[in-house]
Amino acid sequence: MSGVLVYVEQVGGDVAAITRELLGKGRSLADALGGPLAALVIGDAAGNLAERAIAFGADTVYVVSNPALAGYTTDGYVAAAKAVVDQAKPALILAGASFQMRDFGAALATDLDAGLAADAIDVSVEGGQISAVRPSHGGNMINTYAFAAGRTAVVLARKQSFAEASEQAGRSGKVEAVALPAAAIRTQVTSVVPKSGAVNLTDAAIIVSGGRGLGNKDNYYKLIPTLAEALGAAYGASRAVVDEGWVPYEHQVGQTGKTVSPKLYVACGISGAIQHLAGMRTSRSIVAINKDPDAPIFRVATYGVVGDVNEVLPLLTEQLKARLSR
Amino acid sequence: MKQVPRDNSVKLNADLSINADGIEKIINLFDEYAVEEGIAWYEKHGGKLTILSLGSTEWTEQIRRALAMGATDSLLLSDPAFAGVDTLGAARVVAAAIRKLGDVDLILTGRNSTDDESGAFAPALARNLGWPQITYVGKVQDVNPATKTIVADRSLEAVIETVSSPLPAVISVIKDINSPRYPSLLKIKRVAKIDPPVWGAADLGISAADLAPAAVLSTRAPAPSRPKGEMITGGDAAAKVSALVDKLLENQVI
Ligand SMILES: Cc1cc2nc3c(=O)[nH]c(=O)nc-3n(C[C@H](O)[C@H](O)[C@H](O)COP(=O)(O)OP(=O)(O)OC[C@H]3O[C@@H](n4cnc5c(N)ncnc54)[C@H](O)[C@@H]3O)c2cc1C
Ligand SMILES: Nc1ncnc2c1ncn2[C@@H]1O[C@H](COP(=O)(O)O)[C@@H](O)[C@H]1O
Repeated sequence: MSGVLVYVEQVGGDVAAITRELLGKGRSLADALGGPLAALVIGDAAGNLAERAIAFGADTVYVVSNPALAGYTTDGYVAAAKAVVDQAKPALILAGASFQMRDFGAALATDLDAGLAADAIDVSVEGGQISAVRPSHGGNMINTYAFAAGRTAVVLARKQSFAEASEQAGRSGKVEAVALPAAAIRTQVTSVVPKSGAVNLTDAAIIVSGGRGLGNKDNYYKLIPTLAEALGAAYGASRAVVDEGWVPYEHQVGQTGKTVSPKLYVACGISGAIQHLAGMRTSRSIVAINKDPDAPIFRVATYGVVGDVNEVLPLLTEQLKARLSR
Repeated sequence: MKQVPRDNSVKLNADLSINADGIEKIINLFDEYAVEEGIAWYEKHGGKLTILSLGSTEWTEQIRRALAMGATDSLLLSDPAFAGVDTLGAARVVAAAIRKLGDVDLILTGRNSTDDESGAFAPALARNLGWPQITYVGKVQDVNPATKTIVADRSLEAVIETVSSPLPAVISVIKDINSPRYPSLLKIKRVAKIDPPVWGAADLGISAADLAPAAVLSTRAPAPSRPKGEMITGGDAAAKVSALVDKLLENQVI
């Protein structure tokens, strides 16, 4: 076993941001392991994804292309990945920590009798030892796992944990086609429908979230999406307002909603309960606006403003619009 | 149903295990939705609905609560050999129990546990059993005992995928799939004396060596606190907002 294998996710015909992060991090990990950086493309039409993965640092790209792999199924994708693992024999497999990848990664790790770190925020190699860091208990505990020698390590990384690899135009690498083994794909995907008003909170660089301090649903929609628009942000919510029915569950940030780690998180009228913090405390910067100077949200805030959301948010939206010229 | 601390204000023991002394062990939040969904389909089709938990035997109250909600049977997997087992190991133990139970058509779990949070259990269990899986289910459209199929909607970040699968299968459910019922006092009374049967490692032919994890916990520490922030004070709301936007721009936050 040697080197690193990165699962390539695609977005709009190109490699996803998380894949660029993993290729960037994977490069230094592969070097530390003294092995190659390989990438894995699974689908029905790989297109130029292999070339793109090479441009972002992959030495070899294994492509499993088959009409049966048009959509994700655990059976199909795990069978494809195992065929590649048999050939590439990586010491470490890296993928993102989206729902789909968690389904895939845990199944693959089980089949390979590998170690698994789901939702990792760091991974390292020291003296040949592969380790991964993963939060648990609503982000209150930070755990480091050391992978047993001789067993594959599967690490699913949280988005925005690593710097993206930069593109190297004209870089060359190997592309290897691997056949999908005659696997029985037992589940059948009969439809894939985009979520209406879908917000991919986990992808957003900036998130503006509103809580019960907004007072009511109308006020939430009057103040939060407009501020979000001024910042080019997605909007989220505390569980309190999701439970009140102001906003769909999709938007909920926290332990039982989404875990996000944007560049900027703006918490408006949110108290900062431990379960809410679990979902956003790793954001790079946090702005909190709350009328209670003792609100726990201020303990994690980079910038805190004590004030009434009804007064502060319209002013903030107005200033941002003027100064960011949006 | 996983046994988890009511809140995550846990501490560390010297051996890096989690110290949740004094914190009540509740039913993992997502598992209440799995129980409700299981009961709903049991009520439609009959058969049996078994509550299974791997963990401490001192958890009878919570199992009884699920029985009072409408489950018909229960089973606890408990043994010193299972202490501190990781998710993949837990899935191996539960798979052995399911094989021994036999005659199981559908396993429902929660999306993830609120303590360990890996979401790996359902896929790991399915692969151990050699069964198909449908994870992150936001709606079960149909469970058909005659054709032995299940059709369910997976609720992913940006799309809803409708998947059909033969039974037996493992599914994991998310929070907005249903509204878990409250058990009536009458039913709570009716199950008050039930003690779930307990199976240990020997019953399942499993030894501690079978459960050695491939990813070994090497360090664990409370999350570091965030760097100290700054309160923007001085002047009226407009002045504070200006100062805030200045800082965000200066520090290239936006
Ligand atoms: C098992 C479990 C899981 C949970 N999961 C989650 C989760 O995933 N996400 C989540 O968010 N919560 C979760 N919770 C709930 C959590 O404990 C809190 O109840 C919730 O986060 C509170 O939401 P809030 O801050 O909007 O409301 P509140 O706690 O009611 O806070 C409202 C805040 O607004 C401020 N305010 C009021 N009026 C104004 C005004 N005019 N201007 C400015 N500020 C104002 C108040 O000072 C207060 O701080 C969970 C709880 C449990 C038990
Ligand atoms: N020890 C356990 N006993 C019973 N169910 C469990 C156990 N561990 C995990 N599960 C189930 O698996 C789901 C996902 O847990 P996890 O993979 O730990 O995030 C939980 O919601 C439970 O339904």
